[in-house]
Amino acid sequence: MLIDRDHRRWAYATLLATVAGAATYAVYVRSALDGPRGGSGPGLAFGVAGSALMIYAGLLSARKKAPTWRIGRAQAWMKGHLWLGLLSLPLILFHAGLSFGHGALTRVLMWLFLIVILSGLLGVVLQQFLPRVMLQLVPMETIYEQIPHVIAQLRVEADQLIAAACGPFHGQLEPAVQLGRERRMQPSRKRQPFVSAGLLEGAEPLKEFYLVQVRPYLFDAGRGSALGDPIKRAPLFEQVRPLIPPALHEALGDLETICEERRQLSLQARLHLLLHGWLAVHLPLSFALLLLGGVHAVMALRYRY
Amino acid sequence: MADPAVHLTIDGRATTVPAGTTVFDAARTLGIPIPTLCHQSNMEPVGVCRECVVEIEGARVLAASCVRPAEEGMVVSTNSERVRRTRRMLIELLLSDHPRPCARHREFGDCELEVLAEREGITTPRFPGSPGPRRIDDSLPAIRVDHSACILCDRCIRACTDVKSNFVIGRMGKGYPTHIGFDNDLDMGASSCVSCGECMVSCPTGALTNTAAPATELTTGMKFGLDELLHIPIFRGVSSQFLEKNQGGVVKRNFRKGEILCREGEFGSTAFYILKGEVEVFLTAPLAHVKKAGGALGFMSKLTSLLAGGREDPRPDASRRPIPIDGPVDLPLDHPVAVLGEGELFGEMTCLNFYPRSATVRATGDGVVLEMLRNVLQILQKNREFKAQLERNYKQRALASHLRASPAFAGLGDDALDELKERAELIRFEPGGVICRQGEVADKFYLIRIGFVKVTQTHPGGEMVLAYLSRGQFFGEIGLLAGGVRTATCTALDHVEVVCIGVEDFNRMLERFPEVRRSLEQTARERVSANRQHLDAVRTVPLDDFLDQGLMEAQSLLLLDLEKCTRCDDCVRACASAHDGVTRLVRDGLRFDKYLVATSCRQCKDPLCMVGCPVGSIRRKESLEIIIEDWCIGCGLCADQCPYGNINMHPFRVMEQDPGGVASRKAVLRTKATACDLCTDHAEPSCVAACPHDAAHRVNPREFFARELVQISPAHGGAR
Repeated sequence: MLIDRDHRRWAYATLLATVAGAATYAVYVRSALDGPRGGSGPGLAFGVAGSALMIYAGLLSARKKAPTWRIGRAQAWMKGHLWLGLLSLPLILFHAGLSFGHGALTRVLMWLFLIVILSGLLGVVLQQFLPRVMLQLVPMETIYEQIPHVIAQLRVEADQLIAAACGPFHGQLEPAVQLGRERRMQPSRKRQPFVSAGLLEGAEPLKEFYLVQVRPYLFDAGRGSALGDPIKRAPLFEQVRPLIPPALHEALGDLETICEERRQLSLQARLHLLLHGWLAVHLPLSFALLLLGGVHAVMALRYRY
Repeated sequence: MADPAVHLTIDGRATTVPAGTTVFDAARTLGIPIPTLCHQSNMEPVGVCRECVVEIEGARVLAASCVRPAEEGMVVSTNSERVRRTRRMLIELLLSDHPRPCARHREFGDCELEVLAEREGITTPRFPGSPGPRRIDDSLPAIRVDHSACILCDRCIRACTDVKSNFVIGRMGKGYPTHIGFDNDLDMGASSCVSCGECMVSCPTGALTNTAAPATELTTGMKFGLDELLHIPIFRGVSSQFLEKNQGGVVKRNFRKGEILCREGEFGSTAFYILKGEVEVFLTAPLAHVKKAGGALGFMSKLTSLLAGGREDPRPDASRRPIPIDGPVDLPLDHPVAVLGEGELFGEMTCLNFYPRSATVRATGDGVVLEMLRNVLQILQKNREFKAQLERNYKQRALASHLRASPAFAGLGDDALDELKERAELIRFEPGGVICRQGEVADKFYLIRIGFVKVTQTHPGGEMVLAYLSRGQFFGEIGLLAGGVRTATCTALDHVEVVCIGVEDFNRMLERFPEVRRSLEQTARERVSANRQHLDAVRTVPLDDFLDQGLMEAQSLLLLDLEKCTRCDDCVRACASAHDGVTRLVRDGLRFDKYLVATSCRQCKDPLCMVGCPVGSIRRKESLEIIIEDWCIGCGLCADQCPYGNINMHPFRVMEQDPGGVASRKAVLRTKATACDLCTDHAEPSCVAACPHDAAHRVNPREFFARELVQISPAHGGAR
């Protein structure tokens, strides 16, 4: 979520609540004869408040499961998740007397809590700039789940482009994979396959360049390939250009565009993983935290009092 | 303001007609026949043959009745001695330069000039003919041109220019050598003639005759002999020449009980006329699902909606609106079945415009139908008797439901409807034909029987499409209610037939039913207001890229702010969740600056998707949102026509009657069109409400971009 001016009220409220909590905690610490304890009245109050906020933050997942229910707008829930979840940190720390607790469960809980908060903050930070980066660097962005399909489509398109310009491959595509699915695919409408009037003489360098460099790259756009770097890619194509007849320059240009699209799709996949990867830590640990938090509450209330 | 009425006397009989009516038409309303050669009801009169001359009391010369407007107090004689003498001389003059008999009369005996001559008892004209025969042009395989038989009536020219808009035929030369010419006087075969045949069927003589059977011929069914065809009542009066050459274009099909004649969604090119027996017309596509699921799931959905403050889907008039189909009846929404019997025609839209079949037709008993191709149907439609029969059927079976489907006419009494049925007239327009033009005097109210009508308005900046109207919808009320001048131009998009109600009848109806007047005035106000909004939109954002992407055409865009969007797809999931698991938006599409214009219905101002829907299930609500009704038959035409790919065809699992009879009902997959309905049963579209990042917005593009474009940084490079 992009933190912008709309968050000011939430930020001020969180800050105010934190300051108020800290002041209350200071008063409580001064008055407590045997120091701050989670089991004391004020300690329990901090714990209940902190836990309530954690539960609210955890309810965001449940809220997303019923998107048509009009129980507050999703962005209000998200803002609450973010700021109230953050507020739960000082409250829980006040509950724990600014320590990591004494038992194994409380220590585990505190570590989990910290990791959840930090992973959440990491997510917020990533969401501040990665969407903009993606907007600028991946103009050919597509739906993430469609990336493998679009890549396969690009390969079919490139094969057809070169076959039309340089003649059929006659088994030259081996050992590159020829998937049945890809054979059935049609090229996308936005780029019409180049069709030469007849097979041109001098097309061999283009075919060779395609088979040796481009096609493997379209299958596996590893970071090592020069075609994956726009600065290194341009000279490679420029080297081929003088070797082929001018009638094939258009096909070469189309091939370069295909490579660029492939590069952008790889970049999009990486950025997408980065943008959503933190959730792999944040979500399961949050559930674990809520679960263990419940266990902690039951044990503390049942066995200590 | 249109002049209300003109009173005149023809052959001693008084009559009242709307101002602007010709004497010829006024006489026709009294049942007084006036002979003519150059005039046809589907053409603008030109008065060149003068055969329709009449004598007007007080006038110095005889007047051609087809072009002479009726005037107040006029006393007309159509059959005086002077008139008869003049007509006879005109026939003699024309006949003197006409081969006797011409090719058409020799073969079929129906050359209009020679028939008139025979009626007048003229065997040999008193005047000498031309020195020698004129040229014969047989350069086109299908049509032969005999210039000797041409009487220069201009019917072929108007057919080619006004009716078909081909602009191939014109008059060439001056004085005696004047003749019809193709393009710049080329042979017909070398000209840009498209062989549509309109000139041939319009020609009153043997000047343009058919020399070859059309390339298209029906391969199934029993073919007719010419005599057999001529004995079928609906072909009475049709040129036997035409029928002989087009025998393959009409066949007889015997059907047995339960046999399916055509299925909804199929593409076809023929129309059916029932000679004997009855058929049942129905939709097999079940209702519901496009809007919202029914049954237990629907109940849960409604319950959760209620809990969440949702509203019922506000489609106020949907329940009372009949489903328009390609036949003389409409189907009631609650039980979409109708029966057609002898003398009824169905499949006109498919035949004329190649739209998909709108309904399934099954025989309820043994019977016989005529199946015909377009050329045969078009000829039939020009046949006065057949046209009258069609008109009668329509008025009896569909006019009332069409009128009453509109809230404006809900209060119309039965007696008023009966009167309207009597007075209303059916007029046909070819594709591109202008039904009424902006700025003209408004003298008619129109109700569409078949076809699609485009409503446009011309402004200093160009022309703007206001609406597409289809079967059952009306237009022309604004001009009649407010000042008598047309505020928009209405054009036939395909073969259109409209019911016209003259200004007098319209005003009488409004006087008798003040509630109808109030409703119509309300409709007119809403339409004028919507038009004004459209106009304001045109005047605001002038950016090229904005226009290139068609954003100006949209009324509502789903925009995703890509700087805020984390690509979490919550919007897509919410959409699917709100529509029985089928998403109506794809998070992909064109980009405009930092915004992604998601693939979701834009509610275009010029909704091309609506043109051609065979059952009218895609339509605009009064608020101009585009919705797909539950009776969609899944033909996919709207999805093909949406320029932005925003309509998807989706298979729905539904329960249907099992024709095999093993089980009473079975589950089948039926495809239906789906498009964003803006979650009309909620206060806010689900995709927008579900976006946790404030990235999704449903916006009015002109307002949004007018505000946002000012802020767009040049670094973004404008539109992408």
